[in-house]
Amino acid sequence: MKAFDNFHPVAPFLYFAAVIFVTMFTTHPILLGVSFACAVFTCGMITGAKKTLKSLLYALPVMIVIALTNPLFSHNGVTILFYLNGNPVTKEAVLYGVDISVMITSVFYWFKSYHAVMSGDKFVCLFGSVAPKLALLLSMTLGFLPKLKRKYREIDDAQKALGIYSRKGYLDKIRSKIRVLGILVTCGLESSVETADSMRARGYGLKGRTSYSVFRFTFADAAFVFFTVALTAVICFLAYKGAADFRFYPTVKEINFGLESAALYLSALLLSAAGIFCEIKENTVWRLLKSKI
Amino acid sequence: MDKSLLKISAPTVCEAAPETQNEKGKKTPRVRRRLVVSLCVYLIAIPLVIFAGVKLFNDRKYNIVSVIIAVLACVPLFAGFEKGRSGARELVVLAVMTALSVLGRLIFAPVPGFKPVTAIVIITAIAYGAQAGFITGALSAVVSNIFFGQGPWTPFQMFAWGFLGLLSGLVFRRGKKPNVILLVFVGVVGGVIFSLMMDVWSVLNFDGGWNLSRYLALLVSGLPFTAVYAASNAAFLLILTNPFLQKLNRLRDKYGVFNPQ
Repeated sequence: MKAFDNFHPVAPFLYFAAVIFVTMFTTHPILLGVSFACAVFTCGMITGAKKTLKSLLYALPVMIVIALTNPLFSHNGVTILFYLNGNPVTKEAVLYGVDISVMITSVFYWFKSYHAVMSGDKFVCLFGSVAPKLALLLSMTLGFLPKLKRKYREIDDAQKALGIYSRKGYLDKIRSKIRVLGILVTCGLESSVETADSMRARGYGLKGRTSYSVFRFTFADAAFVFFTVALTAVICFLAYKGAADFRFYPTVKEINFGLESAALYLSALLLSAAGIFCEIKENTVWRLLKSKI
Repeated sequence: MDKSLLKISAPTVCEAAPETQNEKGKKTPRVRRRLVVSLCVYLIAIPLVIFAGVKLFNDRKYNIVSVIIAVLACVPLFAGFEKGRSGARELVVLAVMTALSVLGRLIFAPVPGFKPVTAIVIITAIAYGAQAGFITGALSAVVSNIFFGQGPWTPFQMFAWGFLGLLSGLVFRRGKKPNVILLVFVGVVGGVIFSLMMDVWSVLNFDGGWNLSRYLALLVSGLPFTAVYAASNAAFLLILTNPFLQKLNRLRDKYGVFNPQ
């Protein structure tokens, strides 16, 4: 289930932009921890738990490598653990490495969810009004990909059937591939001009043409957008006041649990968990409806 | 002689002629407006972002500032394309070229560093000019990352491939067979600069600031990748430029796509 599918594309786009911005913006371990946990959970709910767990198997070693290599490049910090080739390896550098690896992985998982939610049509709907030409260009490119792929296979087969396709030597193979590619270019370009003429015949580029969109901006979208923007504003304000300040060098600062900091953690949690909340709500509604039947 | 014959025989298909005459009268204010927009972005918005990064964020948020700058740098060029006079045909041809470069990246995905994207972007730029090169490059980054994974690096790839297209559109004479040595030079330098830029991004992302030792380490560890990438650029350019250019020029002559007049 994807609760985000019920939203107008603006809502998820703003939401992911906000969480990614907040994540990349801070080095505060609690904020990053919250973001990481929520990113993985959101990704799990949207793309499937099994897939996400499997990707974690790849992500964790990368995180460990990032964390362990940081001390090799950064010799800041006062707590020296040991010396490696005469260079000090400090506790602070290791902790900073862990912190940054968490940041990078959470951004990666946010992008994964973003990618699963924002399909091509949503992207086009989003930017269709701002940049209609670019949006159209993007959607046409996406459309041409499978077409060209199919055409490539057809040409390949035809060349093989004609007996022109040579697979004797490495060089011959490359030459054949390039001939196929050349034919593909000619075919693609020629047929593309036909597409363009057809577009023109249907009035593309005339003034006053509107584009159809299946998405409607409802009250729920407005509420979600308001929620996202308000929480981001609160987080930015608190960060501006210094609640999100954190430093690793020369010594790791202690984590602050004052009023302002607590408010910051809470708003970050609310923002990051909003996606999970929507998914859970949608799933419960779905189950309830099913149980009524 | 050939070209003029084609133009006379193709007016039923080529409707661009009356439009271009109209455009010529309005050209100056449009160009001026475009210039104002780009100047605003390059001279005001980008310094403002850097200033905000230094002042508000205590100079430590290079990762996010650099992403914003990469996006901003592309905005005037996208706006120029959006407001420009390219019609349906130009649009569709650009879509095909972008799809081809993405397809190339997908086909050669198993070989790290071996991708024809740069070559196709440069060839498009030679045939159809700097703007077409920029759009093909920037869009190739966005679309291919739909398959390879979007991330904060997407704006950087957009910037790198886009500006490579833009520059090669300015360096080479439009539609003419390029000098082979210059072509190989652009391919190799383009590949190396691409890697240098992506490593800058990695350093900014890791350290939140500049760290020379990490940058050098990344450069050294990425050396084989960069070498394969630069060599493959040169190879693809050598093999593909003439046949592709011929086809693109033919399209220009036959249908009036991206005709400079």
